[in-house]
Amino acid sequence: MALRMDYKTDVWVDWCPGCGDYGILAGIQTALKELNLKPWEVVVVSGIGCSGKTPHFIYANGVHTLHGRAIPFATGIKLANPHLKVIVSGGDGDLLGIGAGHLVALGRRNLDITILVHDNQVYGLTKGQASPTLPAGVKTKSLPKPNLQDAINPLLLALSSGYSFVARAYALDIKHLSNIIKQAVQHRGAALIDILQPCITYNDVYTKNWYAKRVYKLEEEGWDPVVKDPSEREDKLAAAVRKALEWGERVPVGILYWDKTKESLEDRIMRRIPTYTEKPPAMQAIEVNGKPVVDIEKILKIYSDYVVEVGRR
Amino acid sequence: MANRRNEVTALLGGPQGAGLETAAQVLSTAFAITGRYVYSYREYYSNIKGRHTYIYVRISSERLPQTAREYPDIIAAIDAESIFHHFTEAREGTIIIYDTSTVNTKINGIVSIEPETRNRISSLLESSGYEKTVKGALQYAEERGAKLIGLDYKLLLKEFAQKTGKSTYRARRYLNTIPMAATGYLLGLTPGELEKGFRRRFRGREQIVADNVKLAEIVAGYMREMGFKPSPLPEPTNPPDKFLVVSGNDIVAIAKTIAGLRLQTYYPITPAADESVTLEAHENLRVDGEDLGSVLVFQTEDEIAAISAAIGAALTGVRSSTTTSGPGFDLMIEALGWAGINEVPVVVTYYQRGGPSTGLPTRGGQEDLFNALFSGHGLFPKIVLASGDHVEAYEDTIRAFNWAEEYQLPVIHLLDKFLANSIVTLPPNLLPPAKISRGLISTGGRGYNRFDKSGGPITPRAFIGSEETVIWYTGDEHNTEGHITEDPENRIIMHDYRMRKLELADEQIPEEERYRLYGNGKDFLLVGWGSVKGAALEALKHLDEEGLHGAYLHVRVMQPLPKKAISKILSDYGVDRAILVEASVRPLLGRLIPMWTGFQFERFILKWTGRPIYPLELAGAVSHIIRDGSRSEVLRYGA
Ligand SMILES: Cc1ncc(C[n+]2csc(CCOP(=O)(O)OP(=O)(O)O)c2C)c(N)n1
Ligand SMILES: [Mg+2]
Repeated sequence: MALRMDYKTDVWVDWCPGCGDYGILAGIQTALKELNLKPWEVVVVSGIGCSGKTPHFIYANGVHTLHGRAIPFATGIKLANPHLKVIVSGGDGDLLGIGAGHLVALGRRNLDITILVHDNQVYGLTKGQASPTLPAGVKTKSLPKPNLQDAINPLLLALSSGYSFVARAYALDIKHLSNIIKQAVQHRGAALIDILQPCITYNDVYTKNWYAKRVYKLEEEGWDPVVKDPSEREDKLAAAVRKALEWGERVPVGILYWDKTKESLEDRIMRRIPTYTEKPPAMQAIEVNGKPVVDIEKILKIYSDYVVEVGRR
Repeated sequence: MANRRNEVTALLGGPQGAGLETAAQVLSTAFAITGRYVYSYREYYSNIKGRHTYIYVRISSERLPQTAREYPDIIAAIDAESIFHHFTEAREGTIIIYDTSTVNTKINGIVSIEPETRNRISSLLESSGYEKTVKGALQYAEERGAKLIGLDYKLLLKEFAQKTGKSTYRARRYLNTIPMAATGYLLGLTPGELEKGFRRRFRGREQIVADNVKLAEIVAGYMREMGFKPSPLPEPTNPPDKFLVVSGNDIVAIAKTIAGLRLQTYYPITPAADESVTLEAHENLRVDGEDLGSVLVFQTEDEIAAISAAIGAALTGVRSSTTTSGPGFDLMIEALGWAGINEVPVVVTYYQRGGPSTGLPTRGGQEDLFNALFSGHGLFPKIVLASGDHVEAYEDTIRAFNWAEEYQLPVIHLLDKFLANSIVTLPPNLLPPAKISRGLISTGGRGYNRFDKSGGPITPRAFIGSEETVIWYTGDEHNTEGHITEDPENRIIMHDYRMRKLELADEQIPEEERYRLYGNGKDFLLVGWGSVKGAALEALKHLDEEGLHGAYLHVRVMQPLPKKAISKILSDYGVDRAILVEASVRPLLGRLIPMWTGFQFERFILKWTGRPIYPLELAGAVSHIIRDGSRSEVLRYGA
């Protein structure tokens, strides 16, 4: 296949016509293009669900993993080769239900990965059951009874988990979305974007019309999410938490919180392994003509604390 | 005391958290410095402080022991509870070192003994006509030939406190040194030698070294006064100039580093976690100022993440692995199938412990063979191999990484708690030089297809991150590009070609590298795997002396099983002389072998107490089967 700088593949996009996922796909492709990233420097990692298919439609490395496990796969990829730009594209069920533990863990680590939550409030691919973002009492089309369980707030979860970039976007505003994705990808640290995504087939409550009337842009109201100095962290975080609670007549989108001062995991690893980014795990020579770079003689030095010399101490 | 065969075994027992491991380390190191070989093995509860733990320290002037053995020559007890757990292990000539201030302690007064154990020991003492006290237990042992050495630990500590100006409270922290020093004295360790052991253990903390040496001198002086004479081990014949002192966990960590592992993930679990801790402690591979790279060890949020991250890492070309035991492995299985369908070389180091569920979390067993072999839905190839001792663990670790890359599949390396927690003094020359083979590798490029099968089942592997190369992976069935397809004809090829890799491995890896036959006696054949090895080899020797001449078939690779060789060997012996030995409640290898060879075992020796199979009990069971016609034997040695 020729190099495709439009980041499109020949795979037929098999989402329902009118699905919000098309907007997210276009948002990612636009961002990659505008960032001028080479397809082999990017890895899009997904879980299972309608959203899980995203990597197959993007001309960049794609790793379509297991339900809920996109983040740990992405973590391994990024740790092994920190020069790659790693983007996780996952469903709300995937990232906030079965994989919620991983989502929290990534925040704690502040590893440089961008998380895109396809937030459609339903389990799309299994035919519309409630996802963890569907509020209690709401009955979408394919639910036999109203939902029993309360919704998780992805923004609050991200803020309390330690993500240093937290945003919300709307799938159908591609320009705005791709702009946020660009900033998230460029940010060094864990970034989460909760993307409101109408599901045309199963979600007849949070529809395109519902959002159209309510969504407004934070930046248009002068919202300043950026932590420029660690001393601002507490106030900015508290403000972001309050803002994250806003849902109803008005639904804010935009960058809610952006801490540019926090150390990423790579920085922390560097303090222990100074050569980490220069010679990351994926780029080390381990053998020369079949002989290990570290042989037993070298081991006896590296593991000198395990060596006992006979006749000495 | 029996210094027979140039070797002795000392048992050190005490409450967890009282420094028993330290004591065993000091003793082992001191002997290693004198050129003796040491094999030590520890049993412990799932508990941090207070419950009974013990260590067999087996010392030889001649060669590295291959296993711990039962019936210690010395039983050195820190506390009363240790006497109750171990007095039945004494035989003619066994020395028991105990604290005279505990003789009147009643077993009922010891809260840390589990009721089942207490009741069992109580009824033994009662039915044999002894008091249910330390005194009763000691009498029981003495009447069976044990020699008692009572020391007043309190008095010794008091003298120690006076001489060093410590409070009695602080002096008590050195309690573990008393039985250890007494053992060292009896085995002929000089204070200078013991001091070297302390110095190495407490590197740089000279005061602690000096205090311990002081106490050891007090103990030795006291023993001398009481008329106990040391009976030193013979001088070592031809000792190496250095030892690598390693547990099973440590040797795997070392072998992984040599094999080129550069990213390891893990979630803490017994008895696997220590391997990762060892790796992390040596993460910077810097030798004489030269930087040879690093091993990144990453603690994940759970085992699902551990394996997923290891697999993700492998996609970028790094040799990666994760390490766990049964409960963690169970969580990894879905991802293992992903590695299977995506042909990812990933190594899972699997230390078996007693299951099911939490089972016996700090004890051992071999019941996870099928879990390793048959884990995962749908069919995908994986190689499963198992190690029986430290040298095998080293070799197998390196083979695991080579095979994973050569055949592009997950490899499960089985070990167990017995090996993980055995510490040996290994002469480095026992470790053969490693060869690294990375299999078919491609630099990718435009038009690269990760799953192009036009050249056969193994596609040259390009790494994510290669210049001008774009790769897709999916857990769905996929086409040559790695995109989803449910096309039936594509499925025929892809699904079949993946399985063919295992058949290829079966053709290409010589069967002789997948099993080993020890001995050639025709009276019986023991068949086993993993930690059975040490006990089996030693049992062969004992039985030889008794006029029963046998052999041991040690299976090292379970998938692909060396079936032709196994089949041939088994048919030479036949059902009456082939005995399957396993630390398991039902014989798993005894069911796997028939699957591939049709040979049905009819003789079994099994053990499922969570304690290792020991050589003498194994020899006894073999003798029952071969001489007395018994069909199956259950072993139970060990507190
Ligand atoms: C371990 C596991 N359990 C269940 C499933 C079935 N499953 C497939 S997709 C899905 C839910 C997808 O919902 P979501 O993550 O919100 O993604 P969407 O389809 O809405 O994009 C489930 C439960 C699975 N693939 N794996
Ligand atoms: Mg969803």
